[in-house]
Amino acid sequence: MEYLLHLAILFSIFGIFALSLDLIAGYTGLFSLAQAAFYGIGAYTTALLMADAGVNFFVALVLGITLAAVVAFVIGFVFSGLRGDYYILGTVGFNFIIFTVFLNWQSLTGGPLGVAGIARPELFGFSFSSSGSFFLLSLATLAVAYGVSWFIVRSSFGRVLRAIREDEEAIAAFGYHTLYFKLAIFVISAGMAACGGALLASYLSFIDPNTFGITSSIFLLSIIVLGGLGSLRGPVLGALVLILLPEALRFVGFPDDIAAELRQVLYGLLLVFLMLYRPQGFLGEFKL
Amino acid sequence: MGIIPQLIANSIIAGSTYALVAVSFNLVYGVSRAFNLAHGILGTVAAYMVFFLAEQNGVPLAAAIPLGIAAAALAGWLLELYVFRPLRERKVIDKVLIIASLGVSVAVEGIVAILFTNQYQSIANLIPHLGILKVGGAAVTSVQALIIVCALLTLVGFWLMLSYTRFGRAARAIADDEEVAKIVGINTPRIIAFIAVIGAAVMGLTGILAGFDTGLEPNMGFLLLLDGAIAAVVGGIGNIYGAFIAAYLLGFAENFGVWFVSGEWKYAIAFLALILCLLFRPQGILGRK
Repeated sequence: MEYLLHLAILFSIFGIFALSLDLIAGYTGLFSLAQAAFYGIGAYTTALLMADAGVNFFVALVLGITLAAVVAFVIGFVFSGLRGDYYILGTVGFNFIIFTVFLNWQSLTGGPLGVAGIARPELFGFSFSSSGSFFLLSLATLAVAYGVSWFIVRSSFGRVLRAIREDEEAIAAFGYHTLYFKLAIFVISAGMAACGGALLASYLSFIDPNTFGITSSIFLLSIIVLGGLGSLRGPVLGALVLILLPEALRFVGFPDDIAAELRQVLYGLLLVFLMLYRPQGFLGEFKL
Repeated sequence: MGIIPQLIANSIIAGSTYALVAVSFNLVYGVSRAFNLAHGILGTVAAYMVFFLAEQNGVPLAAAIPLGIAAAALAGWLLELYVFRPLRERKVIDKVLIIASLGVSVAVEGIVAILFTNQYQSIANLIPHLGILKVGGAAVTSVQALIIVCALLTLVGFWLMLSYTRFGRAARAIADDEEVAKIVGINTPRIIAFIAVIGAAVMGLTGILAGFDTGLEPNMGFLLLLDGAIAAVVGGIGNIYGAFIAAYLLGFAENFGVWFVSGEWKYAIAFLALILCLLFRPQGILGRK
């Protein structure tokens, strides 16, 4: 039971990450490989405020989201002029820079040793210390993220985002300032990712830089490409499949270290085959 | 004496390694328009092939190194044939190619890690008497000297090939406009495949040299590619001469940068250079708008 709850919590958190990435990659066509950097900012802010300063989780969460949003605003502005492949390379670079900061700003982040002893959230004297209550909290957050995404996608704002994805020049010719729309969704997405990152830090109670490297960003991209870009159910389904996959490998009898590498092989191959044979993923409406 | 001569030597060595990656990356990009993030992994394949043959099975280096390069060339050819060509024929947008190549890179890296573990491995002991040259107060190993020579030879070789052979002219025609090249009777799929094989072989050689110089890790190819791709973009995407110049600029920027901050910031410096370049000169040093 405890083990199933563990998987359910991971699924909820990665569902949040996947939704946040789908908003920019699937709906707006901004293929960012920097999502791990943003949830890393959320995770580290929350972890450091809680472990070093004893700040309440929910206060730290808000500050983490704010910091991620501010960074996203600056980065989104810097990258706004980059086209296709350069955008991807630029975001890879940004993820690397943030990773390097986590790794090397030792006085603040603890460097490669990471931050330990991050507490579970507490609200009005109630502590989410049991796995069951933490699961409910993360599931509720996933539901909120889903609702927010649903609302964005259905709104006129969401329609403009899809138009930017299809043809940015055409929608700009209609008088829409595409930069504002791209910046807005980039900031929202980063905030959502940071929210998931805060939950992840609190759940694991320990974080180190490796959780937020470029590999994690690639993993997230394969989640949403698998589930389907430009749909809301797709990324959630993708998160479910790719969270359960390594566990399935373990049940089949692969040792742990091989299972980790094998998972990497599988999601790499998955990306290749999806691009070759089904670029819209399982449930996607947007065909690359 | 001071540290400056050694810093300059290190910059040139790093720059030569990046140049080998960037020049071959841009050669392939020029004709195939594939922003091939799997380019680096070909270096990993070649280096581990040498490790497998020479270190684990005692095959002499004179046979193991050519076989390593051949393995990379074969992998590059298969990649072109079964991934890039079908995608190109479907006229997909560039993001699909990037994601597919990223998938290849991630998958192959995982396979290498399963076969040879994720641990750092060394093949330097295969050359028992590694000579060290003293040049103007800087120490350079013979492998590092070889890297510098290979980078220069590769650039000159590519230049001769592109300028003076029928094959090279055909490749340049494709780089200019694939449709028109096809119309005038150039067998474009064949030329593109040849170029992919040549690029892969150079990347394989680079992986082997880097393996002898600094050791083997499954992610070595991807890390080499990051610097190489930065140099390729900064130099002007598709332009091998620009890539060559940018590779050395990057080598100097990184090595003199880590003089001020610590070595772990290397990639941060490199990507900062990339981002600045993309903002202020997006077409690169020698690129055309």
